[in-house]
Amino acid sequence: MSRSLGKNPAVILEKIRKSLDRLNEKMEVFIELQKQERKQDLIIQDLPEALDVMTLLSLPDHLRKTAVTICKLGHATAEEVSEQTKRARAVESGYLNQLVLMSYLKKERKGRKAYFFVER
Amino acid sequence: MGKIIVIHSYKGGTGKTLLSVNLSAAYAKQGKKVCILDLDFRAPSLQSIFKFESLDYWLNDYLNGSCEIDKVLLDYTPECNCSGSMYVGLANPAIEALRDMSAKDRKWEMRALGRLLSLKNTVLNDMELDYLIYDTSPGLQYSSINAIVSADVVLVVSTIDRSDIEGTKRMVHELYHLFEKKTAILMNKVPIEFLSTQLERDGIYKRFENTHTLPVLKVIPCYCDVLRAGGSKIFTRDEPEHAFAKHVEDITSKIDNF
Repeated sequence: MSRSLGKNPAVILEKIRKSLDRLNEKMEVFIELQKQERKQDLIIQDLPEALDVMTLLSLPDHLRKTAVTICKLGHATAEEVSEQTKRARAVESGYLNQLVLMSYLKKERKGRKAYFFVER
Repeated sequence: MGKIIVIHSYKGGTGKTLLSVNLSAAYAKQGKKVCILDLDFRAPSLQSIFKFESLDYWLNDYLNGSCEIDKVLLDYTPECNCSGSMYVGLANPAIEALRDMSAKDRKWEMRALGRLLSLKNTVLNDMELDYLIYDTSPGLQYSSINAIVSADVVLVVSTIDRSDIEGTKRMVHELYHLFEKKTAILMNKVPIEFLSTQLERDGIYKRFENTHTLPVLKVIPCYCDVLRAGGSKIFTRDEPEHAFAKHVEDITSKIDNF
């Protein structure tokens, strides 16, 4: 049975309180997300851009293999890296793009091919 | 294609330079084309062995990008009494140069790695050399790790000192394995009484192979006359019949089959 809200102030207040609680929860989630994003930005800023040997040592094994290979080749496609590492081209492509996102490698397109390199 | 051999150790004073120089001379004597580079920029020592004077360019200049490698390499073939050829690249021993090299930043070290990696093409391929041997500084130094990254084979020299053995063991797991390098151990300066019978010699090989989980290429006894020579002799050239020279000769064939 529907009740008219205008006729019962207690119901109206209860409705407002529930709405405020929901709004409060949403604000808290929003603030927390913003905090996390700020932390993520700081982590990215902290990453040294130089792909030196100490950075190579700190990388996880799968990325280190790709990074060392690109250091040796200088300028290479995912296909060329995969020939050296004996891993699938798609896998190497994923790792190379991850290293680009971490600012350790640069990527440039020449026609249909994407080349990865260390900016020295 | 030629090989890049890096001689490294956890601690100083293990005999890296002595082994690098004798290994290079042994290869040159066998008719090979070899080049030895001093990558110990903190304590350069090849200058005092090869005694070249008034140099215009050093390896420091090559890594700084101020010259190409052909300006740095010195022809030691006339002095090495060999059927092959031997070239030397020296690190600048001047205090100012040591200070300059110890103040390099990460970007510079990254570029230095690129310059070292390119030696595979410029020295091994273009000059058609058989071996490029790097004498490095001990421990986790930038120049040494750069050398290890560019190596085909890493020879780790250790003595029987406990801290040396433990440090070497850590480096095996936290450095050489991470770069997936072909690595072998050379035990040097082992007291001769530990090696008097075949059983004892076999035991020493087995013990250190188990410790390091790597092949032990050679166990070299401590020879008083090698210590007495104080680095003034290249045994594989000057005293080829000496037991130390024979050990080094044996190492060359083991590296080739490694």
